[in-house]
Amino acid sequence: MSTAATDPDLAGDGAPPQGFIRRAMRHRAFVIGFALTGGMVLSALVSLLWTPHSPTEIIIANRLKPPTAVHWLGTDQFGRDILSMIMAGAQTSIVVGLIAVSLGGIFGLALGLWAAARRGWTEDLIMRLSDLTFAFPVILIAILLTAGWGPGITNAILALGVINIPIFARLVRGTGIAMWEREFVQAARSAGKGRVRITFEHILPNITSVVVVQATISFAIAILAEAALSYLGVGSQPPDPSWGRMLSESQNFIFLSPLIAVWPGLAIVLSVLGLNLMGDGLRDLLDPRLARQR
Amino acid sequence: MALLAVRDLTVDLQTTRGVARAVRGVSFELAKGGTLGVVGESGCGKSITALALMGLLPEGARTSGRIDLDGTDLLSLGEDALCGMRGNRIAMIFQEPMTSLNPVHRIGRQIAEPLRQHRGLRGAKARAEAIRLLDRVGLPNAAQRVDAYPHQLSGGQRQRVMIAMALSCDPDILIADEPTTALDVTIQGQILDLINELVDESGMALILISHDLGVIAETTDDVVVMYGGSLVEHGPTDSLFDTLAHPYSQGLFAAIPDIGGRHDRRLTTIPGTVPELADLPPGCPFADRCPLAADDCWSTEPPMRQVLPGHQAACLRLEAAAAGRANGGRGDD
Ligand SMILES: Nc1ncnc2c1ncn2[C@@H]1O[C@H](COP(=O)(O)OP(=O)(O)O)[C@@H](O)[C@H]1O
Ligand SMILES: [Mg+2]
Repeated sequence: MSTAATDPDLAGDGAPPQGFIRRAMRHRAFVIGFALTGGMVLSALVSLLWTPHSPTEIIIANRLKPPTAVHWLGTDQFGRDILSMIMAGAQTSIVVGLIAVSLGGIFGLALGLWAAARRGWTEDLIMRLSDLTFAFPVILIAILLTAGWGPGITNAILALGVINIPIFARLVRGTGIAMWEREFVQAARSAGKGRVRITFEHILPNITSVVVVQATISFAIAILAEAALSYLGVGSQPPDPSWGRMLSESQNFIFLSPLIAVWPGLAIVLSVLGLNLMGDGLRDLLDPRLARQR
Repeated sequence: MALLAVRDLTVDLQTTRGVARAVRGVSFELAKGGTLGVVGESGCGKSITALALMGLLPEGARTSGRIDLDGTDLLSLGEDALCGMRGNRIAMIFQEPMTSLNPVHRIGRQIAEPLRQHRGLRGAKARAEAIRLLDRVGLPNAAQRVDAYPHQLSGGQRQRVMIAMALSCDPDILIADEPTTALDVTIQGQILDLINELVDESGMALILISHDLGVIAETTDDVVVMYGGSLVEHGPTDSLFDTLAHPYSQGLFAAIPDIGGRHDRRLTTIPGTVPELADLPPGCPFADRCPLAADDCWSTEPPMRQVLPGHQAACLRLEAAAAGRANGGRGDD
């Protein structure tokens, strides 16, 4: 009567991971987003070991070649292989995105959890600070910060990380406060748990999905912002490969060889699109209400 | 001396419409091992009173009065001291078993929480104790179910888990806030029986909150009737149900459907609705719904008056209410 097979009360959902993968494969936006993001990560990883040509070697005789069997995407104004540069440029984008999102995510998470648990003045302080950053577009703040700190990839990463702190803090505070009002938190409190343990054992596990979704979106924004900063000359510096700088340098040759502006633009668009689709997909897939229904 | 003595407890809540006084000068006592029922329509302040006892009021709430547990005023304690009390000396089970367990943790771990917190029990010992408790509350197959996730259990089973969690540290007082309201009718009786059995067995005191007078009548020694945040009647269960001195208590009683009883009895409810706390009228909070209300009821706050020894009601027109009952009716209508 009370075995799992015969007890109707034990009609469980099955182990969550299997269900997740099955549902993920049926979610078209997630699959496309995952494939695009996977492509970006893969080309960055491959470029660490191998690229068709050197992404930095200048051969003036080869300049502005259209796509050929040797140079699949053609060459730029210095005769560098564009495919190799795009692959190596993915490294820059991923490093910038990863560090900026981790920085913003970790500090923002900590502040948001703190604000949700303590309320009072900490909360007010965090919220006023984040209001300040929300008043301006991300890219504008990044430009201002890098202009102040000096150009360079490290400062660009730091600036993007700092901007992400209030974004995560605000999100985590909001979902955290809602979580604190849930019955199971009341139940845990009535069992005598303190705020710190409740934060780690009950609040954090239940907000990971919104944080993961925000991370993918922030990652996309960071890639876009890095491209913009490099385009403006305050981001990554030569000879480091960067999609943004490829775009800006191609401007002068756009009438001679229009494709050289298309490739880095396409790389940026596809990776940002991929991350956004993946984020949307994750939002659906990680939503427990949707997961339960079916 | 009483185990728990609540004196003139007042709770002000922060709402979007301003400050609302959800509990207004409530006083009662609970003896060691005693049982107290709290009845009243929803919104009359039962849960807020219970949360005040636990020190778990919503953010921004203000309290006055005293809540003495064994001579210590709980309202004066800081968060750390309260954490040491909760789950250890006072435990609570909630109305919604479906949402009172964390969906991401196995139930065994959640039951062991108070044990870890207050008894320092960990690992295999905590697990063994969790299995014993699950077995005690009648969860079939406790040794396997200890590893189940909440969504794998039914509502009744989850409420059993909540009870196990509340019992784990042998509290002096168990507060059960409408523990069966969210459950199937067939399960309600089982859960109440279980609570009664455990209370008898362990000698802990019980505060049972319900809007179901039948449940209260069967279970508790004493009853308080709440309306609009105040106590309107308070006395031993037998005396209170025999007398029903307050017109509101009479109305609540008349509102019970008489299942399988005399079929000529209509299902009545008290006309009107529970007042908004933010704009309670002066005078008696029940005046605008009371069939016996006279002019002074609108202006004078009714004092607690003795009905019988140990039994009081806050009403200016107790005599009229008693006469109304004697006429076999429900007031003057
Ligand atoms: N978190 C809250 N914030 C503001 N008002 C609340 C809150 N919880 C309850 N109230 C109000 O307090 C009053 C008493 O509520 P409650 O104690 O939950 O009633 P019940 O007797 O049904 O348990 C109600 O008017 C309700 O609207
Ligand atoms: Mg309630």
